[in-house]
Amino acid sequence: MSPSSVMQTAKNKGLDLIAITDHNSMANCGVYAKAARDYKLDFWYGVEVQTAEEIHVLALFDDPEPALEFDKELYNSLLPIENDPEFFGDQVVIDSKANIVRFEKRALINSSIWTFDEAIKKIQSVGGFAFPAHVDAQTYSVIAQLGFIPTNISLPAVGISAKAKPQMVRQNFPQLKNYNLIQNSDAHYLKDIGSGYTDFYLEKPTVAELKMACKNEKGRKIKNKN
Amino acid sequence: MILLKDFLEKIDGKVLTTEVDISQTEIKDGYVSDLLSDVMGNAEEGQVWITIMRHLNVVAVASLANLSAVVFAKSYQPEDAVIKKANQEGICLISTPLPTFQVAGILYEMLKK
Repeated sequence: MSPSSVMQTAKNKGLDLIAITDHNSMANCGVYAKAARDYKLDFWYGVEVQTAEEIHVLALFDDPEPALEFDKELYNSLLPIENDPEFFGDQVVIDSKANIVRFEKRALINSSIWTFDEAIKKIQSVGGFAFPAHVDAQTYSVIAQLGFIPTNISLPAVGISAKAKPQMVRQNFPQLKNYNLIQNSDAHYLKDIGSGYTDFYLEKPTVAELKMACKNEKGRKIKNKN
Repeated sequence: MILLKDFLEKIDGKVLTTEVDISQTEIKDGYVSDLLSDVMGNAEEGQVWITIMRHLNVVAVASLANLSAVVFAKSYQPEDAVIKKANQEGICLISTPLPTFQVAGILYEMLKK
C-alpha cells in the first residue's frame, strides 16, 4: 500500500485522522506522515506491540520524536530472531513512492520481551497513548491471553475489531463497562481502510486531547459507530 | 491423590510463596496451559497448573479455580508483586528448572501409581 494510495483512500472514506500501526515497527511511519501532510490528513505515529504474553497493544504518538525513541527501545526488546521471507514475506521499509529502501532482517512477527504491564507503562511513560488491541478477538487479545483485563494498571480505553458492533461487544464483555472503546480498521489492504472508525471530539488532534476525551473532560468525548 | 511436597522433590521445585503452608496440600490432577482464558474455563479444583505464563492474573485465575499450586517450568520466575499477591491469596507458586513436558510427565506417572 503506497503512502499516497493509503491517504487517498482515507480521504475518500471521510477520515480526518489516521495512524499507521505496523507490527512491532515504526520504520515506515515517517513517509506516511509526510504523505498525510500532502493530503491534509492528521496523522499519528503508531505501532502494534506484541508483548511477551502474545497480546497486541497499540501505541499512538502525536510527536514523531518520542515515537521514534520508543521504536528504538521496542526494536531492542524484540527476540533476536531473523525473518524468514519465504514463510512470512519480506519486511520492507519504503520511501514516499513505495520504492523499497531496505529490508528489515529481524523477525517482526515475534514478541517483545516486555510483559503486557511493562509495555503499557513504557508507552505511557514516554507520552504515548496505549490501549490493548481487538479485545473481542480470540487471538492476540488481552482477554484471551490473560483471562481478563488487569486492573493494576491504568487503561483509559480498549480497542475492538473493525467488524464488531460496539453495543454487542459491551453485551458480550460486561467487564468492559468502565472502558472507552476505540474501534479501528486494522486495515491490511486498501479496501479495509475506514471499515472501523471512532469519532473523537477533540480541540486538536493530540494524544493529550484523546486522554481528555477518555475522561469526558471539557466537552471532549468519544463516540462509537452504531 | 498425592502430596504436593512429594511432587516438589521429584521436579526439583522451589517454593516461591514462603508464607503459604503446603505441608498437607494434595494434588488430584494436573493441567497444562499458557492461555489464561483456557485455564479459567477448564481447570478444575485440586489440579496443579503447569505454565510459563507469569502475569499477575495467573494468581487470580488459580484462586478462582481453586488450584492446588502453580508450577512455572523452565525456571520461569514471576515478578515480586505476583509472589506477594499469591502469598496474600494463599496460592502456592513453584519454580522448576524442568521443561513443561517433563514436569507433566513426572506428575502423570506419580498420579497413576
